[in-house]
Amino acid sequence: MTTTLVPGARRRARNSRRTAVAWLFLAPFAVVFLLYTAVPTVAALGFSLTDLRGSDLRHPLAVDFTGLDNYLRLFQDPTFLRDILNTGVFVAVGVPSTMVIGFALAVALNSGIRRLRGVFRTVFFAPVVTNVVAVALIWQYAFNAGGTVNKALGYIGLAGPNWLDDPHLAMPVVILLGVWRNFGTAMVLFLAGLQAVPEDVYEAAALDGAGRWRQLRHITLPLLLPTTLMVSVLLTVFYLQVFDEPYLLTDGGPLGSTESVSLYTYHQFGSGQLGMSSAASFVMLLLVLLVSVVQFRLLRPRT
Amino acid sequence: MSDPSRRGVLRLSAGTALLGTLALAGCGRGDTATATAKATAKPIDDRPATGTVNVWAAQGDADVLDKVIKPFKAANPDVTVKFTLIPNSEYYTKLQAAIAAGKGPDVAQFFPESQAQFLDPSILRPVPDGLVDSGAFFKSLWDAGLVKDVAYTVPWYAYTYALVYRADLARKAGVEAPTTWAEMVPFFKALKSAGAVHGLGADNGWDIFNGQDVAMYAWQAGGNLLSSSGSWTLDTPEMVDALKYNASFFTSGSADTATPTFLDAQPYFVSGRTATMITGPWVLGQLDTAAKKTGWTAAHVATAPLPAGASGSVSFSAGGTWGVLADSGNTEASWKFVRHVAKPSTQVAQYSAYGSLPAVISAWDAPAVKKQPLLDAFLTQLKNTKALPQVGTWQQVATRLGKETETVAKGTQTAEKAAASIQAYAKSLGTGAE
Repeated sequence: MTTTLVPGARRRARNSRRTAVAWLFLAPFAVVFLLYTAVPTVAALGFSLTDLRGSDLRHPLAVDFTGLDNYLRLFQDPTFLRDILNTGVFVAVGVPSTMVIGFALAVALNSGIRRLRGVFRTVFFAPVVTNVVAVALIWQYAFNAGGTVNKALGYIGLAGPNWLDDPHLAMPVVILLGVWRNFGTAMVLFLAGLQAVPEDVYEAAALDGAGRWRQLRHITLPLLLPTTLMVSVLLTVFYLQVFDEPYLLTDGGPLGSTESVSLYTYHQFGSGQLGMSSAASFVMLLLVLLVSVVQFRLLRPRT
Repeated sequence: MSDPSRRGVLRLSAGTALLGTLALAGCGRGDTATATAKATAKPIDDRPATGTVNVWAAQGDADVLDKVIKPFKAANPDVTVKFTLIPNSEYYTKLQAAIAAGKGPDVAQFFPESQAQFLDPSILRPVPDGLVDSGAFFKSLWDAGLVKDVAYTVPWYAYTYALVYRADLARKAGVEAPTTWAEMVPFFKALKSAGAVHGLGADNGWDIFNGQDVAMYAWQAGGNLLSSSGSWTLDTPEMVDALKYNASFFTSGSADTATPTFLDAQPYFVSGRTATMITGPWVLGQLDTAAKKTGWTAAHVATAPLPAGASGSVSFSAGGTWGVLADSGNTEASWKFVRHVAKPSTQVAQYSAYGSLPAVISAWDAPAVKKQPLLDAFLTQLKNTKALPQVGTWQQVATRLGKETETVAKGTQTAEKAAASIQAYAKSLGTGAE
């Protein structure tokens, strides 16, 4: 026996079948997201309001609720305040340096050296896809007291310092590694943006007598604003959360001069201060949120 | 000698290992459980072992163990010993995960300097009475496995720190190895006058290893890291002395705070940029390679026990130990395996195969070990060692101690403030046994 459905009911049945199929496809992601992102995030928020320590892991329900104590302690901890400042330096120096280098290379690749573009793109993008642990070991060796950099300086008669053990020099080396690892991403994104700018706009401008500089200033930069916004937000978030570079090169030293907020969080966790560690991670989350919102407000294209 | 890269690998993995310890840090050590565990440790007979024994060990000294225990396999034809070797840096993490999941091996290797978190009847079985003679081992190595008079581990190989210095430069300067703290800096200066750039090559990682060094100096000054009731005592005058003593190497210009890092340590020593190291015995086996000349070490190097502070020449003990897991399904054969590895003849065979220095004192009389005069200072020192604190949070405390040491050595904090700071930190962490 066949069932006859009226048209509206048939559409509803089809829709609900589609919804079910959609949920079926979404389910693996939803489960993973819930288990590994949502639940730990909520748990961490809860932990940040307690005095949970490593030794409490066997009986986590026995911990005391301490409210905002951890947050207050964080902002009274000179180490944490120093690490916020360090992270600010990472962002303030790292983001513009990475963007300028990435943009300059993208412009160069987009215009002058078209024939070798593939080769250069690969060369400049290689640091992005190279394993950071291997790279950091090489950098550590290169910037050692007797490393490659100092040997090179020795050839021109200069005695190099031990870069990674000098509180004033370690930070520039760590930032340099961050810039080196990231300018390839900025370059590729800018290159994609540049290639989306129609050629005829430039031709029209050239006909009107605009030189390369004016074209860059009045056509390229305004049209690239959405790309610039995206690159700057991506890089800012990266540098706010910077971890691999200082961890692998200096572990936050010497004298804490390269310790970032992420590294602080990690060190707190390693010392069994799970409540403090969770609180620090939430401060970082708020920091990222705040900076990203400001960036969107300042840089979004005006219609 | 011991795995050449171990110190470096450990340094890179220290942070990871710390995280791993957390999961077990909260184990309560109930007196009842300990007493029960002790009472259930039955003596092990001499009948041949049977069944399968799964052994986990860290890569390095254990690489040759399969060959070293051939006599055990020959004497026990019905036993199968399966080895799983895990990279040093991941070893404790994997072991803890396996134990937590109830899928651990029968026998596992530990490091006496960092095994405290495993010494619990819910994790390890107490060593049965009469299995081995506890007095046959270096005391501090045996003590490292003791909790409330119950032994959980049996020592396997041993090392400690001593002075390794350029004998040729000392001869040229007309000086003997220092025997007291007060003689250290003058000795370094003499070596400098004989051509060394720096008298001492001090490690500048400012981490757990520096923490261990300062702990050792605190003992030499007469201090203790823990009180008799088991709470931290790190802000003592002895700890202040230890921090000042360590800082004096740098402030006197004998050592450079900026160099060498661990990659440079041996090339610098060989080239004369540094003339002394406070280090372990494995270095001796690597200097010929660094010098690219066989026999260089014998001609240029001497060793001496560590100079004595107010309370003598004390160092810390380290090395390898074995334990049988509480979940093991074949404890008889497991203990028989451990008993075999602890025999002097097996330990000498292990030394011949890999250079692991025996934890059994009598094994040092074997010709293979005895014919190495540079090891004498290490033997003397091993007889005068202490076990690092056997508490779950020691690794975190030692890491922080290393960081505080840096501030004193670089003159950004006084020794008194650093000692107070490390005490406050350690107190906030507790010992993991509360």
